[in-house]
Amino acid sequence: MIRTDLDRLLAGAVAPQRRVFRLAGALAALAVAAGVLLLGLAGWFITAAALAGLGGVLAVQGFNYLLPSAAIRLLAIVRTGARYGERLYGHRGALMALATVRARLFERVLAVPDVRAVSAGDAVTRLVHDIGTLEDSLVRKPALPAALAGGALGLALTWLASPWAALALLALLAGIALGAHLAAPRLLARAATDMAAALARLKASVVDHASASPEILAYGLAPAIGRSLGAEAAALDAARRRFARGEAIIDAGLTLGGGIAMGAVLAISHASAPMTVLAVLAAAGAIESLAGYVRGVSCNALVAAALARLDAMAKGHPLAAGGAEPIAMPVGRTIAFDGDGAHVRLEPGERLGLAGRSGSGKTSLLETLAGIRPADAGSGIRLDDRPIAALPREAVRAVFALAPQDAQLLSGTVRDNLRVARPGLGDGALWAALEVACLADDIRAMPQGLDQWVGDGGARLSGGQRKRLSIARAILSGRPWLLLDEPSEGLDGETEARLRDRLDAWLRETGTGLVVVSHRPALLALADRRLDLDSYRILAKVAADPRARD
Amino acid sequence: MGNRSNSRATVLFWVADGGAAIFVAAALAAGVAAIAQGARGNALLAVGGLAAAALLRAAMQVAATDAGEAAAVRAKAGWRRRVYPQVLVAAPGDRRMLGEAVADAVDRIEDTGGFHARFLPLRRAAIVSPLVIAIAATLGSWVAGAIMLATLVPFGLGMALAGTAAARAAARQLDALSRLSGLFVDRVRALPVIVGFGAQDRIGRHLADATREVATRTLDVLKVAFVSSAIIEFFAALSVALVALYCGFNLLGVLPFPAPEKLSLGEALFVLVLAPEFYLPMRRLAAAYHDKQVGEAAAERLEGIAPASSPPPPRSPMVRPPALRFDGVVIAYGETTVGPFTLDVPAGTSLALRGTTGIGKSSLLHALLGLAPLGGGRILVDGGDAAEVALAGQVGWAGQTVAFVPGTLAGNIRLARPDADDAAVEAAARRAGLGPLIETWGRGMALPLDHRGSGLSGGERRRVGIARVLLKDAPLWLLDEPTADLDAGSAADIAAILAAAARGRTVLVVTHSDALAALADREVTLT
Repeated sequence: MIRTDLDRLLAGAVAPQRRVFRLAGALAALAVAAGVLLLGLAGWFITAAALAGLGGVLAVQGFNYLLPSAAIRLLAIVRTGARYGERLYGHRGALMALATVRARLFERVLAVPDVRAVSAGDAVTRLVHDIGTLEDSLVRKPALPAALAGGALGLALTWLASPWAALALLALLAGIALGAHLAAPRLLARAATDMAAALARLKASVVDHASASPEILAYGLAPAIGRSLGAEAAALDAARRRFARGEAIIDAGLTLGGGIAMGAVLAISHASAPMTVLAVLAAAGAIESLAGYVRGVSCNALVAAALARLDAMAKGHPLAAGGAEPIAMPVGRTIAFDGDGAHVRLEPGERLGLAGRSGSGKTSLLETLAGIRPADAGSGIRLDDRPIAALPREAVRAVFALAPQDAQLLSGTVRDNLRVARPGLGDGALWAALEVACLADDIRAMPQGLDQWVGDGGARLSGGQRKRLSIARAILSGRPWLLLDEPSEGLDGETEARLRDRLDAWLRETGTGLVVVSHRPALLALADRRLDLDSYRILAKVAADPRARD
Repeated sequence: MGNRSNSRATVLFWVADGGAAIFVAAALAAGVAAIAQGARGNALLAVGGLAAAALLRAAMQVAATDAGEAAAVRAKAGWRRRVYPQVLVAAPGDRRMLGEAVADAVDRIEDTGGFHARFLPLRRAAIVSPLVIAIAATLGSWVAGAIMLATLVPFGLGMALAGTAAARAAARQLDALSRLSGLFVDRVRALPVIVGFGAQDRIGRHLADATREVATRTLDVLKVAFVSSAIIEFFAALSVALVALYCGFNLLGVLPFPAPEKLSLGEALFVLVLAPEFYLPMRRLAAAYHDKQVGEAAAERLEGIAPASSPPPPRSPMVRPPALRFDGVVIAYGETTVGPFTLDVPAGTSLALRGTTGIGKSSLLHALLGLAPLGGGRILVDGGDAAEVALAGQVGWAGQTVAFVPGTLAGNIRLARPDADDAAVEAAARRAGLGPLIETWGRGMALPLDHRGSGLSGGERRRVGIARVLLKDAPLWLLDEPTADLDAGSAADIAAILAAAARGRTVLVVTHSDALAALADREVTLT
């Protein structure tokens, strides 16, 4: 798996936090070392004290108990403090680094060529969940220094008792680490992939179905759909349980290893009793200090699955260097449609009405012009006499402002929705556009005016209001061509007439060109020319055939 | 019942793990004592016991984890049964974004898993296990046992203080996470708009700010959550230190007070090794504390979506076309309201609703289905409150947006009446004018569709919705601009088909089309 692109992205986000991560690693090592030493020293102290106690008054007086007892208390405090610091800095570094990664990855989603194909539920699973998984793996960064410090200190203390015992401990430490690395892919990797896939599927299904609320209610579909969702969820549960079991087995290796280490050192050591006890407890501590590292190995299975998905997203759509590049040449002064049915050429400011039966491809044509549907080489659309398929998407998008048939609004305020059109728009411009779209009176009547919340995807507005808000937004973008798809659908006759007059005046004042799709004669009257897609065969065939590409 | 036994088994396994720890300590102490006395044979016997006890512990830990996970699966299944039906019929004007609803339905339920799998059983084990350990320690040294128990008092106080603060912070963080998730879904849904207007940078920056805000909030939570684990760490270390110092001074005979007991090396080592075990259940519980915060906050949100189920009211199936009456109905979306409207639709008649855009025609249909919040007035169905009558599942509906589920064209139409046979489904499709679509792609009624109905034109979508109404054969029809998006010829055809099929039913149709309105028995213009 080549991860260069994602690696660069991650490295770039982690770099500013490098000092935080180093500090966290040092504190983790300190905490683990203090823990190993605390238990070992306590064992040594008790055993030595017992032997001195048996040796009589002189032996007791010769035993310096102040130093070890002070050290024991100090170690208890150091361990607590270092551990708190390690956790805090480890999490700070990880969270801050990943806030950056998250935003970068959203930019990648935006660069997907056919934006209509991105499924909402799936994209969210990727971004929120996968990045959360990465976060966990970054939080575990200090586990390696901790394991190394604990292991080294344990080995050194065991060496004091017996080199052979130290060798046995080394073998156990290596065995546990290796065992975890070997077991994780077998026990966990498959479960992790299944888990993530099942979660994504479940979410996508719930989003799909939840958007069908009125139908679900009207036709009483909730129980049936709930059952089928429950069946999908069972796959998720099964994978999760397999993962938990695998993780527990790998963890249990530590418990078993700890017992074997204590037994082995006890059996091998021929040093004095206090030194033997020190070695036994230090060996147990060394094994325990591997815990964080082994946990991390377990989580690697999750991280690998997340990385693979993020990578697919990052690699497929590399970001243009330096972000938004200026458009190289002016595009879109003229539009030409070439087909065997017709030849139409539009000069700046001209207007064209598109007619045709339902399903003849009018909407597809507008979406192709707007650059949100990939253009086909045979589409016969030319901008400035160049085939649209050969032009950069950004250049095409910069020429057209689309008010689509299905007015897509952001969940936010009226202002949020209008300001998407162009940066630096003041309220005056927003109201002017609302006037043209015949929506200003409606907005003024709302208690919070421009700050009115429009609901989920604009659900608080009526169909006609959504449409007119979308028209106002297209007007605000200041592009040379306006594309309107059924702009008056859902409007009463009087509003429709007003909308036509105001649009007519606005188009004339600004010299903006227009391509309009409508079934209604009133709106088609805005255009000086008409193209009937029923007879315009090449274009109609290509544009109406999205499945050929899917 | 089954869940409770799973949960009880989990607790037992965790307590058994603590019991095995006592054997580990005893074997180790016996081994060292044997070595100190020069009895190596006994020491090797102790080594064997040590390994066996460690193996038992490992087995108990695996069993406890697995039983906990089984309990979580059952708990989550219960939530899904309660929550999914609610999420699926969320009101379209509801303030929660669709993405948040998804996060609620899927992520929040997953969030409750750790609470049942780990936190609940560990909390019970954290009460029983330390007591078992302390009693065992008392067998070696009652003072050491008392030291362990005594450190519990300040520990408990510290945990109580840290715990409440952490819970508050966790609730705030969960809100932020949920909003973030909702924001992502929404902006991804609106991708065509965002890229169309070149707003990538601005929207991207907004999202970056939102994610940084979540990171900052998470850090606030963790600062507090880590205090509670630091308290446990401290007292765990303190109890080891105190036990070590007491035993050492006791063995040396230099205690600053009269020795309450005479310890041997074996007894002293036994209690020393048990000292960290005393706090281990609490440390495990602390590691699962995040599961508790997330799980409880998630459960609270889920309760908000799906209040504890009351038995559904008896539903009388609607066999006859009902009479409808809207009596001063006001629909209140927060600050915006529409209405009041008063309307009468006699049983078996059709009424066309007209009026300027935004007046609230669609909202009236939603309100009848209970999908719009009623701010005043009453909706009566055959004289009874609409909320009491089982309208759900008994209505023919064609809305402004037609919903699709992944599957075939036939499957999508059949949603309206699952028991309909293939012939009936195809007949409804052809009556709705889907004939050309069925023929064109060579797949007939098996034409595959995704959840967006990609590849269908606006008019074809409408026709799918109309085919559903025709197939449903319900006594009440609610039609919301059924012929919009159709060219004049098609609209007239569909209007005629609908008018013929609607005869004898109660029909409420919202339309701007004169042709369609003319076919209704009456028309009313809302003002």
